[in-house]
Amino acid sequence: MGLAVFLVAAAMAVAGGIGVVAFHEPIRSVLSLVVVMLALAVLFLLLSAQFVFVVQVIVYAGAVMVLFLFVVALLGPAKELGRGRLRFQPWLAGLFAAVFLILLWVMLQGVQYRQPAITDLHIFGTVQWIAVELFTKYLYPFELTSLLLLVAAIGAIYLSKRSIEDL
Amino acid sequence: MTALYNDPVGHWVVVTVAIAVLLFVVLTATAYTVWFERVALGRIQRRPGPNRVGPFGLMQLAADGVKLAFKESFIPAKTDKVLYVIAPTIAVAAAFLSWAVIPIGLWYNVQYWIADINIGVLLIFAFSSLNVYAILLGGYSSNNKYSLLGGLRSAAQLISYEIALGLSLVPTFMIVGSLRLRDIVDYTVHWGPYTGPIPLVLVTPIGFVIYLMAAVAETNRAPFDLPEAEQELIGGFLTEYSGLKFVMYYLAEYINMITVSALAALLFFGGWYLWFVPPVLAFVAKVIFFLFLYIWLRGTLPRLRYDMLMRLGWKVLMPLAIANIIVTGIVLVAVQG
Repeated sequence: MGLAVFLVAAAMAVAGGIGVVAFHEPIRSVLSLVVVMLALAVLFLLLSAQFVFVVQVIVYAGAVMVLFLFVVALLGPAKELGRGRLRFQPWLAGLFAAVFLILLWVMLQGVQYRQPAITDLHIFGTVQWIAVELFTKYLYPFELTSLLLLVAAIGAIYLSKRSIEDL
Repeated sequence: MTALYNDPVGHWVVVTVAIAVLLFVVLTATAYTVWFERVALGRIQRRPGPNRVGPFGLMQLAADGVKLAFKESFIPAKTDKVLYVIAPTIAVAAAFLSWAVIPIGLWYNVQYWIADINIGVLLIFAFSSLNVYAILLGGYSSNNKYSLLGGLRSAAQLISYEIALGLSLVPTFMIVGSLRLRDIVDYTVHWGPYTGPIPLVLVTPIGFVIYLMAAVAETNRAPFDLPEAEQELIGGFLTEYSGLKFVMYYLAEYINMITVSALAALLFFGGWYLWFVPPVLAFVAKVIFFLFLYIWLRGTLPRLRYDMLMRLGWKVLMPLAIANIIVTGIVLVAVQG
């Protein structure tokens, strides 16, 4: 059962990933990316990470991708031009993909598979568990990340408030 | 029942039957919510409302459904036909999925649910956040300026009020210590001589008020029904939709109304507990009360202007919700130590 769900979700993620680059209409690329996000969410759920699953759907599918869609919808229906100026790009992309796959294969040779330290599925992945970990073990990085996000938000507001003459 | 539920094959049978029953109940409830709205709105405006088809006009929805089903299914020219057809199905799917985690108390120790999971409320938010796609894609693929503007407006509104909606519930989670809907309903207090379930609205009244306002905005209902403001946008993202695709959007809107009402009953008004009233009746009565509140608001309040709507969401409700969380946290630490 788990394997079947995994295969379907993984196939959807890969198909969505291909769709992002293969579609010529921007809106379909965005929607393909949404499919990738949702498929990844299902994979998280298979790993018993309930909270990460929900956050993946709310934040990525529900907020980030909607902003992408917003921009595409505002720009109106458009199509990518069939052929760009970068003729050598497909060859280069193929080369990089091959190098990446070889690297991945080499890395996978060194991986040692083991059981996770915590296997009590009644606690693992729940909101309570993640909250306890975040506010005890990972408090310092957690607070630093929130500070970073705050700085980014203030910066974004400052930049958008500046008028054209100031630049 | 428990033995059947724990059996691997029996589990699927139980879940499938539960889903079928739920589809039937929610669809029927939706149909009669529409009837209820039309009659109640009629009475508010001093006219009888639908009263011709069947007793008290109860068959009006069946007549409307048949009429809409036989309408021409129109697809605008020069548009993305796939997206145009998919958009309303997303709305209906997202609306129904929320009901997977909503428990219904049938009797004192008998409850009905499809999935009883640890993150129940968050899952409902996750599914309702997918509703934005239905509206945005519907507006985009209609190839109509009014549709597009209505869709964009609506998407901005939904994203803005989702934040206030989520934050308004955090104090409830902090008090109960769980996001499982059944835990929240079964939350008991020991206040002097009284031990038992209480409506959480007594503990977080501000959270409830924010929830109510944000929920009305989330479901695109008056006075926050900007996406379909007739005077300025014709029908918003719905303009080009007709026949069964229109019905799907309409259905999704009413299912969402019932979902939000049921959530209000579960989260703030003790779910199926109400003095001596039998649990299932108590739950239904609370849901109907909130649905009536929706209709009452629609019959009473004029529509907000768009900038007023955004100001309310970002500058009033969100800071209030955050302050509510902080105060609740301080009080909880002071009480529990």
